Amino acid sequence: MPARPAVAVLVSAVAALTACATQGPAPPNPARGPSAAQPSPFAEPGVPPPATTGPGERPSTAPAKQFHLGPATTALVAQAQRQAGSGDYGPAAATLERAVRIEPDNPLVWIELGRVHLSEGNAGQADALGRKALALATGDPAAQALAWRLIADALRARGRDTDAYDADRRATSLAPH
Amino acid sequence: MVKQFEGRRWTLPAQVYAAPLELYAGLALTPDELEHELERLHYRRAERADHPGTYRAQGERIDVALRPARFADETRPAQLLSIASAANGIAGLRDGAGHELPVLRLEPLLIGSIFPIHGEDRIVLAPAEVPPLLPAALKAVEDRKFDTHHGVDPVAMLRAAWVNVRARQIEQGGSTLTQQLVRSYFLSSRQTLSRKLREAIMAIALDAHFTKADLMNAYINEIFLGQDGDRAIHGFGLASQFYFGKPLTELDLSELSLLVAIVRGPSYYDPRRHPERALARRNLVLKEMADQGIVGEADASAAARRPLGVSRRPAGAYYPAYLDFVRRTLRRDYHEQDLTEAGLRIYTSLDPRAQDQAEHALEHELARLDRLHRNPSSALEGAVVITAPQSGEVIAIVGGRDVGYDGFDRALDARRSMGSLVKPFIYLAALESGRYTAATVVQDAPVDVRLVNGRHWKPENFTREVYGPVPVVRALAESLNLATVGVGLDLGLAKVAQTLERFGLPQHPAQVPAMLLGAIDVTPLEAAQLFNGLANGGFRNPLRAVRAVVSAEGKPLKAFALEVTPVASPEVMYQLNRMLLLVMDRGTGRAARALLPPQLVVAGKSGTSSDYRDSWFAGFSGSHLAVVWVGYDDDEPTGFTGSAGALPVWAHIMAGLGTRSWSAPMPESLTEAQIEYPTGLRVVPGCADDIVAVAVPDSAALPARPGCRLPDTVRPTDHPSETFLQRAQQWLQGVGH
Repeated sequence: MPARPAVAVLVSAVAALTACATQGPAPPNPARGPSAAQPSPFAEPGVPPPATTGPGERPSTAPAKQFHLGPATTALVAQAQRQAGSGDYGPAAATLERAVRIEPDNPLVWIELGRVHLSEGNAGQADALGRKALALATGDPAAQALAWRLIADALRARGRDTDAYDADRRATSLAPH
Repeated sequence: MVKQFEGRRWTLPAQVYAAPLELYAGLALTPDELEHELERLHYRRAERADHPGTYRAQGERIDVALRPARFADETRPAQLLSIASAANGIAGLRDGAGHELPVLRLEPLLIGSIFPIHGEDRIVLAPAEVPPLLPAALKAVEDRKFDTHHGVDPVAMLRAAWVNVRARQIEQGGSTLTQQLVRSYFLSSRQTLSRKLREAIMAIALDAHFTKADLMNAYINEIFLGQDGDRAIHGFGLASQFYFGKPLTELDLSELSLLVAIVRGPSYYDPRRHPERALARRNLVLKEMADQGIVGEADASAAARRPLGVSRRPAGAYYPAYLDFVRRTLRRDYHEQDLTEAGLRIYTSLDPRAQDQAEHALEHELARLDRLHRNPSSALEGAVVITAPQSGEVIAIVGGRDVGYDGFDRALDARRSMGSLVKPFIYLAALESGRYTAATVVQDAPVDVRLVNGRHWKPENFTREVYGPVPVVRALAESLNLATVGVGLDLGLAKVAQTLERFGLPQHPAQVPAMLLGAIDVTPLEAAQLFNGLANGGFRNPLRAVRAVVSAEGKPLKAFALEVTPVASPEVMYQLNRMLLLVMDRGTGRAARALLPPQLVVAGKSGTSSDYRDSWFAGFSGSHLAVVWVGYDDDEPTGFTGSAGALPVWAHIMAGLGTRSWSAPMPESLTEAQIEYPTGLRVVPGCADDIVAVAVPDSAALPARPGCRLPDTVRPTDHPSETFLQRAQQWLQGVGH
């Protein structure tokens, strides 16, 4: 019965994402293009250019970064959520893959994709996508927490309750309610 | 016979489409590039964008009248699109009503079809999709009494005989359109009297049973209009794509007349091979149409002054190696007959821009290498695979330097020794063991392994020198064989083999010591699968070219969804990838820097097999992985390393892709350390000349260089990004080389 709890969590993830997406304008996100347009070789799409931060920055010494979706991916995620809401998981996943191609380094898109897989009953893939999102979310506690929640739900759907409990605890410690 | 005609549906080869270009605000596509993309889809620049297939470019604004489009998940009617474009990218999109659009796809480019071997390929058109001028022109030129005769036209047959004797005017075939249809449909093309008789009788029978409109539509979809290798081009719908790259409805008078001209002899009047003949006949067709009042004299003579306008290469024959991969993917799930007859629509991830870039770079560089290393007996060959690592999509495949040749596909079928491409996987296993870091000093010392057969294996470095104690980062960057073999033997062959298999090596490699120097045969595609896992930060995704298969009626049949499997921890991957950046900085990849945009951060590894038979380079940025192989088909030594052969091809490809820098975030349990490159000892800036930055676990205790005072109040790891950025800065400026 993985679908029932997953839907509830999907809604909360949606709320979190929407909140995230409305915080400040997203910088242009060149999925390709002359790198001359990039302020720094380490600029990450969907994240303000690191003036003082870099990939080596530690959260303890750096202001946390915060991922948000650009306008194109926001629209695609919204479309995917409508599709998933009507049970069209395949089309929802296809729409989210478009978003992944536009912002492949944005963990929020991967989390959405994982949510769709979980709703569809593919908890193994949801777990893997949660881990993919987690690797990208380094430095953004809110995104890390969302990734851990996805992993927790995926683990629970596979009957691994103890591991799920651990994952949930990690999520809570990153983004206490 | 009539039943057969009625019951017959055309067999429809699957149509294969490239990835549609996604447009959105912020996409770094210049106005010129955008226009180029529209032209690739055969959109025509016009004063007004009012007909589907036209666009108007005015300053930084481009208005496009989009054609109706079918995607895997959506059918979209024709619509207007207004693009605000700026020098650094797209500023915004609006629809015809002025509403802002967050994202919009251009229609996917048709890149080919899957037709039976020696078979017919066609695109079937409904009567409504046929411009009225076409039937009128066909009647004018081929069969003036089509509307009134009963399937045959005895007068025309006699006139044809007479005209052909004089052979001065437009040549007359004498067969009605119905007879031509019968011939194409039911009969062989042998010219015998009995066949002529049967043809006439069958034409009369068909004429009695079907309306003229049905027969005309059948003719338009049936008739043979060209040959492309094994592929027979049937029907005006496909012919329009084949010769002009756009739908029939968008052809102008001169283009339509050319297709009508070709009917009489697709080989004799082939506009690509015999442009003068084709032009002369096209103009005769135009004159005939004007004489009969179908078009105005002025229009006809204006059209007659136009060039042929045929596209350089036939549509659908652009990318044989890529289509080969698509076909093999689909054959796992579909019967041959479904693919060649059922009218499926196949949506792929091919990126035409990346494909063009790869083809061009390979052709160009192999020609240069051939000149440098003159080998009279054979020409160098090569293959390229490009992927989008995070989604695991293959976006370009080149199977050889003759890119249009639908033959031996080296990207999929050339199994060659992977050489030093194996080394990253050995060091990955080393990092995973917990006993090695990038700074660990290993011995580059002579190796002598006694094999089970009693022989001794004594590998050497490429330089034939011995380097002594070196840090792991240097052993990998400079591809030191002896140091690597030492590490591999320490870990055990089974461990290395298992690491390769986790990343997608399809076979169990023979566990012999030579495996540690890459005595494992892989195809370029398999090498791309292995490296895709590195580029994707330790996540393996099965490489795929097909996104979705849709039925002729538009029903989704199958989606090849994105799948990821974690195969290595982000911590280990980050440490390894930071070392692979140094390959480009300090090691065997550094020659690429002169060819790449200066600020582009990339990682990679060269590969050279024994005796220089295979030259490889595999490397990635933040958004692309490219694998290049260069060698001779007969396995002759090339005389050059991966750095000399495949690397320049790779660099030219990456330079032209508009790719993003590699920029994975460093996992929180790692720290950045500066070490002395020759010794691996920990240093601080200013206390050594030759410093590189590596990522190591927080817990790693690195010995300090004597005389280097590491401040103990402030750990050097507290400003890791600064050192990394400094290092990158140095990389940009080429300091120290």
